[in-house]
Order: sequence, then structure tokens, then C-alpha cells
Amino acid sequence: MSQWLNQALEQADKIDDWLTPKRAQSLAKLKATPWPSRKTEAWKYTPVNKIERAKFPASTAAKNGAISIPDLDAIELFFVDGIFDQSSSSNSFPSGVSIIQLCDGEQTSWALDGFNHTKPEKHFFGLMNDVLATQGCIIDIEDGAKISQPIRISQSFSLGSQSHTRILVRLGEGSRATIIEHLHGNDLSFNTSFAEYQISDSAYLEHYRLAMQCEDAISMGGCHFKLGHASKLNSNLIGFGSQLSRVDVDIIHTGEHSDAKFNVIYLLDGKEIFDLHSAIEHTVPNGTSEQNVRCIVADHANAIFNGRIHIHRNAQKILAQMNNRNLLMSDNAQVNTKPELEIYADDVRCAHGATMAEIDEKSMYYLQSRGIKRSDAQVMLSFGFINELIDLMDNQAIAHWLKPILKQRFANMEIRK
Amino acid sequence: MLKIDNLQASVAENPIIKGFDLHINEGEVHAIMGPNGAGKSTLSYALTGREDYEITGGSASLDGADLLEMEIEERATAGLFLAFQYPVEIPGVSNMEFLKAAVDAQRSARGEDLYSSSDFLRMAKAACKQVNLPLNFLKRGVNEGFSGGEKKRNEIMQMILLEPKLCILDESDSGLDIDALKVVAEGINSQRDGKRSFLVITHYQRLLDYIKPDFVHVLAEGKIVKSGGPELALELEAEGYSWLESYDRTAADEEL
Repeated sequence: MSQWLNQALEQADKIDDWLTPKRAQSLAKLKATPWPSRKTEAWKYTPVNKIERAKFPASTAAKNGAISIPDLDAIELFFVDGIFDQSSSSNSFPSGVSIIQLCDGEQTSWALDGFNHTKPEKHFFGLMNDVLATQGCIIDIEDGAKISQPIRISQSFSLGSQSHTRILVRLGEGSRATIIEHLHGNDLSFNTSFAEYQISDSAYLEHYRLAMQCEDAISMGGCHFKLGHASKLNSNLIGFGSQLSRVDVDIIHTGEHSDAKFNVIYLLDGKEIFDLHSAIEHTVPNGTSEQNVRCIVADHANAIFNGRIHIHRNAQKILAQMNNRNLLMSDNAQVNTKPELEIYADDVRCAHGATMAEIDEKSMYYLQSRGIKRSDAQVMLSFGFINELIDLMDNQAIAHWLKPILKQRFANMEIRK
Repeated sequence: MLKIDNLQASVAENPIIKGFDLHINEGEVHAIMGPNGAGKSTLSYALTGREDYEITGGSASLDGADLLEMEIEERATAGLFLAFQYPVEIPGVSNMEFLKAAVDAQRSARGEDLYSSSDFLRMAKAACKQVNLPLNFLKRGVNEGFSGGEKKRNEIMQMILLEPKLCILDESDSGLDIDALKVVAEGINSQRDGKRSFLVITHYQRLLDYIKPDFVHVLAEGKIVKSGGPELALELEAEGYSWLESYDRTAADEEL
């Protein structure tokens, strides 16, 4: 076991709080789990050894501020290097919303049961987050509350920081909310950030995870959703790669007539890595799920998408779709995509597809024939490929803010053929 | 304005255009008719520089500038416009963004001032109305989910905004009902200003009822086999192309 992990475990042993019963279980599992390597199937393309090799400098005084999203007008929760920054956060909330810090979790009746209620145990760094996360927040949306103001949890990570945060969310019956997890910071840092969402019957969650840590950052995280009867999830993930970025998403349908949409945009450059493992689980009949994953990968970057759909034996009449499209901008760019379908019911419709494409020459010719330069047409077409998913976002403030950022990031990518 | 001499073009090493000659002067409307497989679309692709359409001989120039030496976008900037038979759908790129990019690209390449966004929006709305498309078509993806007729009208809208010198209309009438045909024809006629020239490629006389050509040419086997005035189109409509092919064979026999 690595020196780095030993230190983490020693630190975990010292934590004693309301989550101790849960932490103890995870700690036992963590100690029994081997450090992931390329031989571990779930980490085959993800060089976890970068964590051990990383020389984390002492955390500096210079901290990143929050990034503002114009016109978002959100309830803001800001964490710097995993520590809640009260002064930069909202301190009053609309009625129907309760937000407390993780350390005050004892005040919330469902919090202890909600911890690891949605997140599966399979994720090594999820276990690590179980034992080490002492910061984060607990969000409760009352039954029937329709909260139009989005809630944004911003996390910035600065040089040398190592942090672990946990977010627990419960949407009451028939409630509605928009929650944004926004992670940023490009310097060498390490963080695990996991969020668990319980979406009660007839509730609707609009969710964004803006995984925008780049360059030297190391980020391990997950978003885990449990859907009740007739509930809806509309989740969007933006993945900028870094030297090591991994997100696990689990969407578990536990009530009938629930619907999940999950749209993902990857935009990777340099030697960045972004690894998404998604698992959609239909445990009951009459559910729908749709996943669209689009990657643009340039230079020596590496996109990994492992998409699993699991339909249980009695889960009839399921419509599940998974689509992964990739655009390679250079000969050295890499995409590792693997659909995994496990279907035990016999009356379901399940479609999946993965394509690897270069720019469509017919579209290119069309644009050029109107006087647009090939290089500009390339930007328009590639951007169009991901723009389709941005246009599907419900929140216009996020869509407007994202478009130029993604466009700029894309324009800076070099085409190397 | 457009001078094409002895043009030869191949697709996948199959010669399709085999010695094509055509001169179009300022303000003239020429129609090219011909049976399937005569090389009509190949001609329009070869002139606009589409990949895989290889020029193997001859010359083509627009206002004295050698078209065949130019990149695709340079030909457009020089004033050449092709209204496609099958316009492509480009989801994710809005029609408005596309139109602005195209007009900006051409104007800046010609060293002209760019329109402000608000001026351009006004022009685009007017053009959109002119071809009878709802204004939300400006916001939609380029041709995305448009019907056949809507795609053709979108082509004419682009032509109106790009103000080319020479327009090639590749079967702009195909797949149109009578009402849509009128809209397309009116759009085209509105751009006839005595200076702009047109090359209208069509199978049928029908379009030419609305867009009166000055000259009609019959393309067969990759070259013009007959030229005449508007009456030639009527002749073809009445007699079809089989007559033409037999005429062709007889002519070939006589030469021997």
C-alpha cells in the first residue's frame, strides 16, 4: 500500500463525528481493497499511480476566488480547498430550502441514513471520501417546494491542497430544484468530491456538474442519484480533463415511471484525461433513461467512457438509450469507450451506439462553399456537435455562460493530423 | 463573366465532364437541361471545388480570375454561389450564426466593412420573410429538420444575403410543390438586377416558366450537345431526351 494512502488512513482514524458508524464500515472496506491499478478493470485506462507520484507542495496562501456565472442569480455555497467559505456564500434561503454544513448533520433526520444510501461501494475513492470527508453540505428541499432559484455549490482548489467533500441532497415529494456542482482550479491539487441525491416521488431535479478542473489538478468524484416513482432527473456533465479526472455517475431507478436524462460534454486537450463511468440501473418496470455523451479530444488527450445499463429481471417496459459520439482532433488523441449492457428483462427497448468520427466532409464543403474558411468551418462544425447538447440545457444562464467558454477552449485546440 | 472552356472533370477516375464549353455574360440567365447522369451536378461541384471532383483539363474563370486555382471558400468570395440540390443538415450550428459567418467571411476577404449584428439581423429577417420562412428558422440548426421545400428556400435566402455575381441553381425546383416553386422562383427573380448571372440546372421546363432563361443548353454525356433559346426547353418538354440521344448518335455517325 502506498505511503500516500497510509497517511490518508492514519488521518481517517483520527476523525470522530456523527458519521463514525458509517465511516468505520467504509474504512474496513477500504483497508481490504487493493490500491487500484491498470489491472483493475474499472481503472484500466486511468493512471491512478499519478496520485502516488504527485509531489504535492505545501498549500499556499494564494487561493482562487469563486467564478461568477452572470445572470445565474443562484443560492451560492462556496468551498475553498474543501473548506466552507461563509463570507462568499449566501446566508438566507428561500422557504422550502434548508442547507446546513456536513458537520452539523446530526440536525437532519435523514442525513445518517442518506450517507451511502445512493453511492455504491465499488468506487475506491468513494470509500476514501466516506472516511475523510468532514466538509460539505446537506440540502433538503421540502415536499412540494418548487425552488426556481438554482443552488450552486462552487469548489475551487488551489496549489497543494488535498481535500474531500461530500454533498447530501434530498428532494421531497413533488418538489423541484436545480443544483449545480461547479469545480475549478488548474494547479496541482487532489480532491475527492462526491454527491448523493435522493429524488423522491414526483420530484424533479435539474442537475449540472461542471467538472472544469484542468492541467495539473487531480480530481476523483461521483454523482449518485436515486429516483422515486414518477420522478425526473435532467443531469448535465461538462468534463474538462486534467492530468487525472474521474467521475462516476450512478442513476438508480427505484420507482416506476421515472425518467432520467444525462447529457455529457467532454472537451479535452493537451495530455488531459477525463474518465466517466456511468451506470444506469433500472430495478423496476416502466422507466426511461437517455444518455448522450459527446467527446472532442485533441492533442494527446484521453477520453474514457464506460457506460453501463443494468435492467433487472422484473423491470419490464424499459426504454433505455445510450449514445456516445467522439470527435478526434489529432492522430494522438485517444478515446476508450465501452458500453456494457446487462439486461435480464425480456420486454425492454435498449439501444446503444458509439461512433468515432472525423469532421463530416459534406458539411465542411457546404460551409466552405459559402465562403467560410476551412479552419473556421472546422470550429463551427465541431462546436455544433456539442452545441446540440448545450441547447438542450434548461438553464439559459448556464448555457449562455458556457458557450463562449467552450468555444474558446475549443478554438485553442490544435488540429494535428 | 463566367468563361468555361473545354472543361473536363472526373469522379473516382471516371470522366464525367468531357469537354464542356460555356460563356455567360453579365445579367444573363442560362439553363442547363439534360437526362439523369448527364453530369449536371458534377458540373456544379467541379466549378465550386468539391473534394473528389477532379478537374483533368480545360479552364474556368469568373471575371477573369481562374476559378480552378482557388480554394472552395475563395470561389465563393469571388462571387460564385451554388444553391444545392440536397443541402446538408448541420445540427448545433444555428442558421443565423452560419449566415453571419458566411457574409462576414466574404466581406472581410473582399476588404469590405462588416455589418453590425443588429443591421445583419434586420437583413436576415427581411430575407427570411422574402422566401416565406418563419423567423424562427434563423434560430434553428442549419437545415435541421427542414422539409425539402424549406431547404430549397433556405438556399435562396443565403443567395439573397450573399449577393453573389454568379448563381448556380442545382435543381432548385426538385421536390417542390407549385406554391413553393413560385416562392423559390420569385426569390431568384428578385435577384435579377441586370448584372447578376444565373446558371439554372433543371430537369423540367416548369421552373423555366417562372425564370425566363436567355439561353437553354442540353447537357448529355458530359458536354453541351445543343444550345438554343427558351423554345428549346419547350421542345425537350414535348419530346423528351430519347430524341436527343438518337440525334446524338446520328450526328456521331455522320462524322464518321
